[in-house]
Amino acid sequence: MPVDCNRMAGRRALKAVLIDLSGTLHVEDAAVPGAQDALNRLRQASVAVKFVTNTTKESKRILLERLQRLNFDLQEKEIFTSLSAARTLLEQKQHRPLLLVEDSAREDFTGIDTSEPNAVVIGLAPDQFNYQTLNKAFRMILDGAPLIAIHKARYYKRNDGLALGPGPFVSGLEYATDCKATVVGKPEKTFFIQALSDLGCCPSEAVMIGDDARDDVGGAQNAGMLGILVRTGKYREGDENKINPPPYLTCASFPEAVEHILKNLL
Amino acid sequence: MADRDWPGSAKSLKGVILDMCGVLYDSGEGDGVAIRGSVEAVKKLKASDLQLRFCTNETQASRETFVAKLGRLGFDISVSEVFSPAPTAVTVLKDRGLRPHLLVYDGLLSEFDSVDKTNPNCVVIGDAAEKFTYQNLNEAFRVLIGLENPVLFSLGQGRYYKETDGLKLDVGVYMKALEYACDLKAEVIGKPSPMFFQSVLTDMGLQPHEALMIGDDLVNDVGGAQHCGMKGVQVRTGKYRPSDERHPTVSADGTVDNLAQAVDMLLSQRGL
Repeated sequence: MPVDCNRMAGRRALKAVLIDLSGTLHVEDAAVPGAQDALNRLRQASVAVKFVTNTTKESKRILLERLQRLNFDLQEKEIFTSLSAARTLLEQKQHRPLLLVEDSAREDFTGIDTSEPNAVVIGLAPDQFNYQTLNKAFRMILDGAPLIAIHKARYYKRNDGLALGPGPFVSGLEYATDCKATVVGKPEKTFFIQALSDLGCCPSEAVMIGDDARDDVGGAQNAGMLGILVRTGKYREGDENKINPPPYLTCASFPEAVEHILKNLL
Repeated sequence: MADRDWPGSAKSLKGVILDMCGVLYDSGEGDGVAIRGSVEAVKKLKASDLQLRFCTNETQASRETFVAKLGRLGFDISVSEVFSPAPTAVTVLKDRGLRPHLLVYDGLLSEFDSVDKTNPNCVVIGDAAEKFTYQNLNEAFRVLIGLENPVLFSLGQGRYYKETDGLKLDVGVYMKALEYACDLKAEVIGKPSPMFFQSVLTDMGLQPHEALMIGDDLVNDVGGAQHCGMKGVQVRTGKYRPSDERHPTVSADGTVDNLAQAVDMLLSQRGL
């Protein structure tokens, strides 16, 4: 049911919570302590819940399996990824992509024609970020192929430390070709609007919980939502001071964020 | 377009700095090919009373290897006359007490032999070509992100260069990648950095207005030199394009067909 968000004045009661995955509900294969129970309490409060992620290495199915293994209660249709957003764009423009994405992410592009590619799609693909493949992508873009970035995250947290995200490689190619990439993932406004679109609510009726000050909280707030920054995952001391306006709330972890929502926003 | 003040100002010059690739020779298969008249032109300059130095952004090979190649092409040049980013970087590192994590082509490593590379507190990247793997870039990134005061040196900032089998990404692309990842700005060592040109001038003991730069790259050679107060002349060899003579921001002090013509004009103005 379409909602006219422009007619809304001020902030209404909370109708939806968008939750980041990696770094917020879990870090690699370990759940954030207490997160499963917190999610259940949130569901009992009858707000719509959606899991939004810029993770580009994994298809929705893989994400779902990991979360279910960690005893989180969710369904595949509640997951919205930047890969979903990229696919939508490719279909709209009828591009045939050179997919610089991990094999595990290709599932989400099943059915898209990749022969004689005329567009470059960059996700998180360490195996593909070698000199030869980047040169190939570079030459395609010079010849006119659009550059689509699943997102431009600077880095992410792995078990063995921080690791480069796709952002640096997208920036490098933008510099090489003097072109601008189309970014489809967080913190783009359209990503958040798309994520809320089938929940029948406006950004002013939604809150985002995540560990990335710029991409999760900054992006959501820029789209008109409230943003809660959690101090888990890739969070580093002082991140809350790096965005303007600052987060609506900064708290220890997902369970504390849920407590705040249940006490103050419903 | 009309030449500005060149070669009238030639009499007050005390030194000449030459770009190499595109001025002395063209790169290609093997050693490449000397540009017609350039070997003779260098000989004439050396026989004159002008000081002479050479300036390049080459970072895939050490100066020794590079100079040996030029010797095979007929040029009489010694390593001490050549300024490339790597030795300048070494000086900068030592002056500032910095210990580098290196991401450079294997052929360049020997330039850094005298530098303490333990417990790195900065990163130096050069044109590493196929060594620009995700893993190597990640290592460089981790050094930077772990430093309280991260410093990234980039040997040049080129976007791409031409090789026989197509265009290839240059060091500037990876510099931008690390800048974005770490939210910092790299320090560029090499053309067109003013510090690089200044190091050549210091070595020659000259003030900027006493020196002339001759190169094929309008922005990095000529523009870079002019920015430091030197005169800059462009040659119509190498990567020169006719549109360079209508460039929106850089106007060469003079444009000549090749190095041989530049040297003849220069020396005849000085009455030699």
